[in-house]
Amino acid sequence: MISRVADSCFWLFRYMERAESCARLAATNRMLVLDAEHDRAERWKPVIVVLGEQARFEELVGQERYHDDDDAEEYLTWNQKNPVSIRSSLYWARENARQIREVISREMWETLNTSWQWLTSKAAQREYRGDRSQFYRRIRSLCAEFGGISESTMLHEEPLDFMLLGTVLERANQTARLMDVKHHRLGGRETLETPWQSAQWVSQLKLCAAEESFLKRHRAAPTGRRVVEFLLRDPSFPRSVLHCFERAELLLRRIEAATARVAATDSLKALQTMVAHLRQAKISDVLHAGLHEELTRVVDTTALVCDHLQRDFLNPIDAPELEPAAPAAARQSQSQSTSSSSSSSSEQSQSQG
Amino acid sequence: MTISGVPKLPLFADYRPLPGTYDEFFEAPGQPRSNMAQLVRALDKVGQREFQKRQELANSAFLNAGVTFSVYSDERGGERVFPFDLIPRVITAEEWDRVERGLAQRVTALNLFLRDVYGPQKILSEDILPARLVLGSSGYLERLRGVAPPGGVYIHVAGIDLIRSPSGEFLVLEDNVRTPSGVSYVLENRGVMKRALPSVFKKLNVRSVDDYPTVLRDTLLESAPSASPPSPDSPVRAVVLTPGPFNSAYFEHSFLAGRMGCELAYASDLFVRDRKVYLKTTAGPQQIHVIYRRIDDAFLDPEFFRPDSLLGVAGLVSAYAAGNVTLANALGNGVADDKAVYPYVPDMIRFYLSEEPIIGQVQTYNLSRKQDLEYALGHLNELVVKAVDGSGGYGMLMGPTASESEIAEFRAKLEENPRGYIAQPRVELSAAPTWCETELAPRRVDLRPFVLTGKKTWVLPGGLCRVALEKNSYVVNSSQGGGSKDTWVLGAST
Repeated sequence: MISRVADSCFWLFRYMERAESCARLAATNRMLVLDAEHDRAERWKPVIVVLGEQARFEELVGQERYHDDDDAEEYLTWNQKNPVSIRSSLYWARENARQIREVISREMWETLNTSWQWLTSKAAQREYRGDRSQFYRRIRSLCAEFGGISESTMLHEEPLDFMLLGTVLERANQTARLMDVKHHRLGGRETLETPWQSAQWVSQLKLCAAEESFLKRHRAAPTGRRVVEFLLRDPSFPRSVLHCFERAELLLRRIEAATARVAATDSLKALQTMVAHLRQAKISDVLHAGLHEELTRVVDTTALVCDHLQRDFLNPIDAPELEPAAPAAARQSQSQSTSSSSSSSSEQSQSQG
Repeated sequence: MTISGVPKLPLFADYRPLPGTYDEFFEAPGQPRSNMAQLVRALDKVGQREFQKRQELANSAFLNAGVTFSVYSDERGGERVFPFDLIPRVITAEEWDRVERGLAQRVTALNLFLRDVYGPQKILSEDILPARLVLGSSGYLERLRGVAPPGGVYIHVAGIDLIRSPSGEFLVLEDNVRTPSGVSYVLENRGVMKRALPSVFKKLNVRSVDDYPTVLRDTLLESAPSASPPSPDSPVRAVVLTPGPFNSAYFEHSFLAGRMGCELAYASDLFVRDRKVYLKTTAGPQQIHVIYRRIDDAFLDPEFFRPDSLLGVAGLVSAYAAGNVTLANALGNGVADDKAVYPYVPDMIRFYLSEEPIIGQVQTYNLSRKQDLEYALGHLNELVVKAVDGSGGYGMLMGPTASESEIAEFRAKLEENPRGYIAQPRVELSAAPTWCETELAPRRVDLRPFVLTGKKTWVLPGGLCRVALEKNSYVVNSSQGGGSKDTWVLGAST
């Protein structure tokens, strides 16, 4: 498939995942901040920080506005200058879809297009003002509907593999970021569990849509250690970092087979290194050495894999070798710059925050 | 019967045809043409209120399906729905038979003309066409003389604009043999029509338009260069080449690629090496044999056309000249649809085919002829003046409705560059009943049928019927506030 098209497939699903995740984050935090334990002045700060939007929020909205539900939610939902607002994510998802309409199924396009027409309608504004939980639920439903239709109408081959790759890498990234912020609030390394801390771990699980799954797995109260283990590397939880990376590895292997690669790409190697590390790491060591360092590694790995994907598949340099599937060694010597000048992906990459 | 008990108002109850104009539905007020009576009855039965509902349903179907053309100024992602009118236009089997033969004849002659102009130039040496006019056309590419496209086909896709005169006769108004657009709306209109008015649709025996993408794909594949014969492990590969999502016809490019099952490429997805064209794919470079290009000549290849341009695929023309890739349509077709060449198309038909033209055309003043120019300058307020290489309804003068200053402006243009313009009497285009917000009113229409040529020539049964939605307007172009209608070509049995 055309490299540019693969890039759009990848980003289309990343943006959809981002919209869904942001809607969940906003809806969950609205409930959490109602609890008395919360620092009132800072109620939305962790969420804004998790999205990497601290500087922009303070510039556009104000650093004294973190307590204001309406300001914060407006910023997360509608603000067009916020590149990860729900509106921005859906806008870019649709733009990417529009550029590959001949590749995605007609039903996918119509679902996404209708969602966008709704989001920009008065009806959406009314629902946002009148029943906000329902509004955020609808956003999540629209995203889920799109994902479901995609899997049931696309051929299960390269384009869909690139799409799902976008989803799982975005998810791994989101989970790591969410863990990191809560972790900061808990004050680093953990020793004793106070009731307050337990409550914090519960809200951590809620933010990651993991509460139900966690309880099924453990049938016990969440402790820091269990929660970290669960979110970092539960083999079956769809948002655990390890699960996402393992799926990414699988998808990438399929893509390499479809594109007749003779040697493993740098993208795959970077993923494999991370998967191996996550599988063998001891949680007590991770907690001891610092969870923040571990999570930073996850976020950096995602960025690294994305860089490699650009050069391996999505935006090969302008004068490619004529032999298909040039050996990986030859590719490594190519430009190290991560932001390409030609495609829109460099612009998109920036909004990862 | 209606729920409220108020009697239903027949759809055509208040409709009055435009005096002095051929009405597509009615012979006289209240008197449908004999072959329209069945349709008028069926539509009357729908009633005005219900029809309005169906029209609104159709409008939202287009919006939700994202069937749009791009405009730069619109904040909704720069896309706008091409207005669709739910009253179909109908062409009978007998009428269509003649149109079909006439179009095939005309496109065949135009293709032979291009083969000749870029070859022996017999038509010029025998003085059938003035050499100065042809060789001076901005669409003529002298450097490509002697380069023959595979199979000798220049015009794989043609869109010939037809109008109906007050007597009901079809006339050719314009030839479009470079990158004619609009066929995607023909297919989309039909889909929406079937959903919005199924009961009316099934009453008539309407010929299907759905074959178009399949025939287009076959046309493209059979036009592949013979110099690089495909093997089982490298089949002929075709792409649609688009300027990108900001182009007004982007929807159509994407639509056709999707329906043909081939890839939609930007110029930046292609490159040329050793005079062969390659596509940048996730599996490395892959050779392309046929390009259905929807980019104008001048932006195809910076090496050949504009060294200062960043657009296009560098070296594409060299690959084309080497016979390694087919461009559909071929390069240099602009000389055949130059509006100053148009008056000579009947002569081409006689010269190349020894036949009389089956479809007539509009009388045209060739302003490079002195007496024509003088006449035109004296009658600008009666004439329509068009730039010879213009399209989309831009750069034209509608004499009868123009202001003094517009006429003065065109007078100066004509005196300065008479070769750049033609003049025609304003034809009273036929009108068709059209839903205008709350009622039916006559609006002027044209028809752009599409003609495909590979190993043989095929005419899509139907075409894009464009309608001037403004009252009293003669300009049907989408860029000038035009809309479209579904065109029903009836099968022979009715």
